[in-house]
Amino acid sequence: MWRLIHGQTLQQRRWGDETVLYNDLSGDTHLLGETAICLLHALQVSAHDEAALVALVCARLQVGADDTAAHETALLLASLSELSLIERCAC
Amino acid sequence: MLTVASYSRAQLGARLAERGIHLQTGAFVTCVKSEVASVADGISLLYADYPVLEQAEFADFHISLHQAGGVRRWFRPQVRLDCDGISPFQPLPVAQAFPMFEWTLNWCVSSNAHRYLCIHAAVVEKNGYAVILPAPPGSGKSTLCAALVSKGWRLLSDELTLVRLGSGELVPLVRPISLKNASIDIIRRYAPSSVFSPVVDDTSKGSIAHLKAPADSVARAGQCARPAWVIFPKYAAGASAQLEPIAPARAFMRLAKNAFNYSLLGSAGFAALGDVIDASLSYEFTYSALDDAIDIFSRLTPPGQ
Repeated sequence: MWRLIHGQTLQQRRWGDETVLYNDLSGDTHLLGETAICLLHALQVSAHDEAALVALVCARLQVGADDTAAHETALLLASLSELSLIERCAC
Repeated sequence: MLTVASYSRAQLGARLAERGIHLQTGAFVTCVKSEVASVADGISLLYADYPVLEQAEFADFHISLHQAGGVRRWFRPQVRLDCDGISPFQPLPVAQAFPMFEWTLNWCVSSNAHRYLCIHAAVVEKNGYAVILPAPPGSGKSTLCAALVSKGWRLLSDELTLVRLGSGELVPLVRPISLKNASIDIIRRYAPSSVFSPVVDDTSKGSIAHLKAPADSVARAGQCARPAWVIFPKYAAGASAQLEPIAPARAFMRLAKNAFNYSLLGSAGFAALGDVIDASLSYEFTYSALDDAIDIFSRLTPPGQ
């Protein structure tokens, strides 16, 4: 399961398909694409397991939920985790 | 209103050496003390139109520049700086005292004025629309700024763009324009009626001269402006003048890197910068000929038109 790290408010500005997001915990600003923002918004609502997130991404991108999609989503989740935006949880 | 020009050069020198003066530059009042002649010369020449607060009880910053004592003063005279009890710069040759004064004023604002988002960028305005010109040293920012100002654009600042938190207004900080090396003669030729301080050679930035801000810009230092364009200039010898749009999110990230206190301000800085980008069109601008650059700037279309 993945969840948004407590304290992140996802303060952001979106222009076209690019978004800048303020990281409340690190003070950094991140330039993110639509898929990353889609994941963060889903996790802001509630924790999701990885399969649900893959399905969400595939629906968003209108592609099949194959191994490539699962791999790319996992990489993106890992990147967002490295930025201290999201974390794994047991919930 | 009392201005620097209200004093004779002799009176100004005596006042600076004794009590100091409370010099108003836009939203800031600085108490300046110095017995160094080149500091008084520079203030007399370049700050003639600026208000002096005779009865001021408060100053945002207190700057003292004094000639260092000891044996060295007979061989290699130096000037020492004190700024509210701090010496942000090492002593410098006395010939560099006026540039040091200018650098210190910049340092005071960029290090302390955290009620604004403070961006390392020039800013000029015409017809109510402001252009922010962020750029690293060597990009031709100040040269372009000086040329624009000589053609009727109002100077808000050559060095520090101040964005008021909450409102997004650009707050003027009208001061002399710092020109370096070849830019000095370029602007002397381009705007022959301009008033310059004497050239100071061998500074850490090369040869430096300061260009007097137009009296109209100084008189309007209380009038804020709205951002309309963020333009990253780049001088390239022989290049034709060209504007290339930049995606807003990319412009945001680049502008953030040019801000002195963006990280310090946290989410307030993020919001302020977002407001600037929201209100502006962003471009990369390559140029070599100033006339071509001025022409392109004169034809900029404001956002939403």
